[in-house]
Amino acid sequence: MARLGNRIRGISRLSPTATAGVIIILLFGVLALFSDMFMPHDPVSSFTDRILQPPSAQHWFGTDGNGMDVFSRVIYGAKFGFGIAIPAVIIAVLIGVPVGLIAGYRGGLLDEVLMRIFDGLRVFPSIILALAVVAATGQSLLNVVLVLGFLDSPVFARLVRSEVLALRSSIFVESAIAAGNPTWRILFLHLLPNSIQGAMAQTAVRAAWAVRISATLAFLGVGIQAPTPEWGAMIRQGAEFMVSGQWWVAIFPGIALILLVFGLNLFGDGIQDILDPRRRVSK
Amino acid sequence: MNFSHFIFRRTLMVIPLLVGVVFLTFMLVRVGGLDPVGLLAGPTATAEEFKMIREELGLDQPLWKQFVIYAQNVIRGDLGESWLSNRPVLDDIMARSLISLELLFWGIGIGTLIGVPMGLRAAFRPNGRFDQTTRILSLLGFSIPTYWLGLVMLFVFFYLLRWAPPGMGRISLMISPPDFITGSYLIDSLLTADWRAAHSALAHLILPVICLAIVSAAPIIKQTRAIALEVIASDSVRYARACGLQTRTVRSIVFKNSATPIITFVGTEITGLVGTMSLIEYVFAWGGLGQYGLNAIVRGDFTAVQGYVLTLALFSVLVFLVVDIIIAIIEPRVDLS
Amino acid sequence: MNLLSVQDLQTHFIFRDIDHQLREAKALNKVNLTLNSGQVLGIVGETGAGKSLTAQSICGLLRPPAKIVGGSVTFQGRELLTLPEDEINTIRGAEIAMVVQNPRSSLDPLTQIGAQLVRLHQTHTGGPLAGSRKKALDMMQAVGIPDPEGRFTAWPHELSGGMAQRVLIAMALINEPKLLIADEPTTGLDVTVQAQILDLLNELVARFDMGCMIITHDLGIVAHYCDQVAVMFAGEIVEQGPTREVFLTPAHPYTQQLLAATPERLQLGVKSQLGGQPPDLFNLPTGCLSQDRCTLATEKCGAPPPLIEISKGHLARCHFVKPAEKGRSKSNE
Repeated sequence: MARLGNRIRGISRLSPTATAGVIIILLFGVLALFSDMFMPHDPVSSFTDRILQPPSAQHWFGTDGNGMDVFSRVIYGAKFGFGIAIPAVIIAVLIGVPVGLIAGYRGGLLDEVLMRIFDGLRVFPSIILALAVVAATGQSLLNVVLVLGFLDSPVFARLVRSEVLALRSSIFVESAIAAGNPTWRILFLHLLPNSIQGAMAQTAVRAAWAVRISATLAFLGVGIQAPTPEWGAMIRQGAEFMVSGQWWVAIFPGIALILLVFGLNLFGDGIQDILDPRRRVSK
Repeated sequence: MNFSHFIFRRTLMVIPLLVGVVFLTFMLVRVGGLDPVGLLAGPTATAEEFKMIREELGLDQPLWKQFVIYAQNVIRGDLGESWLSNRPVLDDIMARSLISLELLFWGIGIGTLIGVPMGLRAAFRPNGRFDQTTRILSLLGFSIPTYWLGLVMLFVFFYLLRWAPPGMGRISLMISPPDFITGSYLIDSLLTADWRAAHSALAHLILPVICLAIVSAAPIIKQTRAIALEVIASDSVRYARACGLQTRTVRSIVFKNSATPIITFVGTEITGLVGTMSLIEYVFAWGGLGQYGLNAIVRGDFTAVQGYVLTLALFSVLVFLVVDIIIAIIEPRVDLS
Repeated sequence: MNLLSVQDLQTHFIFRDIDHQLREAKALNKVNLTLNSGQVLGIVGETGAGKSLTAQSICGLLRPPAKIVGGSVTFQGRELLTLPEDEINTIRGAEIAMVVQNPRSSLDPLTQIGAQLVRLHQTHTGGPLAGSRKKALDMMQAVGIPDPEGRFTAWPHELSGGMAQRVLIAMALINEPKLLIADEPTTGLDVTVQAQILDLLNELVARFDMGCMIITHDLGIVAHYCDQVAVMFAGEIVEQGPTREVFLTPAHPYTQQLLAATPERLQLGVKSQLGGQPPDLFNLPTGCLSQDRCTLATEKCGAPPPLIEISKGHLARCHFVKPAEKGRSKSNE
């Protein structure tokens, strides 16, 4: 137990960014899971007598164009943040890692074709790609998750593939092959644990990307729409009021979005720092 | 002699990529169940009319045939007609490309001019105050949604402070734009000495450019720092220190050796930044390609989306090509044979 | 006055590991060396013994988490360890020059070699550019680069390993240093080229009357080119003296092990050939640092062994060595 405490202290000392990131993520996680405890009002019921009211004691973040309490909606929006990002990243990993393993291990035509496809995809801005595909395939939450997961998989595939390529000619893999191990065993028992480190370090950063992009999609009116209390959709709603002075409708969801994405990025950056052996260590 | 040969071969190598891009664009728009016919025809169309439209669009043909027709059209420069504007997509796109290019140029230019020195400075004193602050700022830049930033800036600088003009277009509605020379309102009005127009154009440029600069600087700072740190740890820099070269000489060695990876990186970033720029155009009603494209996607303007995505992709390919050529020029290690 | 005098130099690696524990690896443990003009001193030891680290500590090229925690380094009477960075920078490359391993990757890939020589000359010696250019060409000639005028504009990646190493030597000598430190100058070069480079070094050292320190793990090089040798183990000099004497009559058990490892007295090879584990720098034993590998070790070795002078200039750090008697040096029998 004391060792665990020391380890935690060690990591937090090694990377204050990772620690700060974790704290932020946990905070939002709590909000998402236990939103009921934190919401003073129902996020989707409108108080028609209190439309567009500035922040007050009753409505900490004010009310929006439909008279709904912005504070509660922001809290509830945390659910969407995690609800989209986590499945999307899981899908990306579940697709990308095996693809990377196989492409790196087998090489040859399969690898060439896959790499060409990934390279081809790189010339499209990811936002536009996500936008176009979601708009084309139908605007549901599930679609957003699937599309984001799909679009993110090349990142993981490429990372795993390069690790596998480096390991493929190493002694321990050669001996595993010589010992007659079936391919799937080699892939999953030998190569996977050793190639996955870099990819795992990326998960937080990719989750941050997923949260951002899903909000962007909602902002453009694709994928999630009002009156759903999702942050991007809320910013979309609030956009028209920004230039006429009702700043609270769009600003607060934006701040929440920034914080969560920032927390995820901090954590991801901190983890990469720890894992990088060339990190500068000061005494 | 060798060099133009090099450029020629490089350009040739790009062609398969172009083919792939056209193919992907083609598949992209057909990937979902979106039925462009339904949109075009409207709710009151009869089955007969449906069939007619379908034939007209060529959608009754097998997929591979559609692709061939599409590819042929693209080569001829025919990108179809936007059903929203009823104009050829190619015309719409051409008209707007220069507009977007202006924003892109200034935004990324300033972002790089800020980002690279900051990244370098952070690398020269790692884990110092400047480095840590910069890293936080850079991560923050990664986390701020561009459109939100644009809205906030409009709120602060337009609504609150009345310094900036409303976020609509590139020039005040009450001023007539300058004559067309380069397509950039700012440059054209300066060239024609139309100071009022120049002032208005500049005022309208500032906020969107700042937004784009901030968002593009973030990854550039992070990557420049990482690249510079690697170069600093390299044998050649260690040796330079061992030779007792002055700090500023060593720093210039670091900078020159970082230049190639930085340029490569900025080239790849441009692709993503084009997407971000589209969002900024949307918020500021800039009237460029990005706004056009986003509208097209959201409203399901099939052919316009195709044209837009294709243009973006072609632009990226062009950028990659230019980056390759630039690197071949500045790098003595590249074999031009 | 010695050209270079290293006394009780201690360099440790200090950092916190992932369990937040403070860890200290004692890489250099009271290293003592002296060197004079005209002398060529060879420093031998296995990989990880601390040879390169000694050179880096002398020149102030350490990077965190390495840190000098004790000792002194005097160069021409000046204490180097307390000098501020910018002062050491004026000494490096000018009065103390280093020739490193990996010549091809050490040269600045984006500057032509002639320009690099001129730049180095301008930094420390200065004067008109034409003068530097001429000096650069002269040096290129001196190190045996064919067609110096033509090669002046060559890029580092166009050079072979041997040619690049010659350039490094030219860079080291262009400011006429008093002390030359060559860290594994021939590793990675073809065998035929190795001899040329070492002959060249020797000739130039004599010509310019410099002190030279050659760091290597190759005993053959030491035997042929160095008048003095210092044997390192676990960050300590365990034996030093005139090469001939040390090699013919090694006093310290470790030296004996080294020389006996291959009958032809050639390269050390991998650590394991010598038997025993490499020392754990985090947990060094008290007393003699070699005791875990030594066949002669007894409880006496728990105390730090004294430095015994076996004959003039020949010293070893071991309990079982007998000091000079009757003019003949003899280790225990």
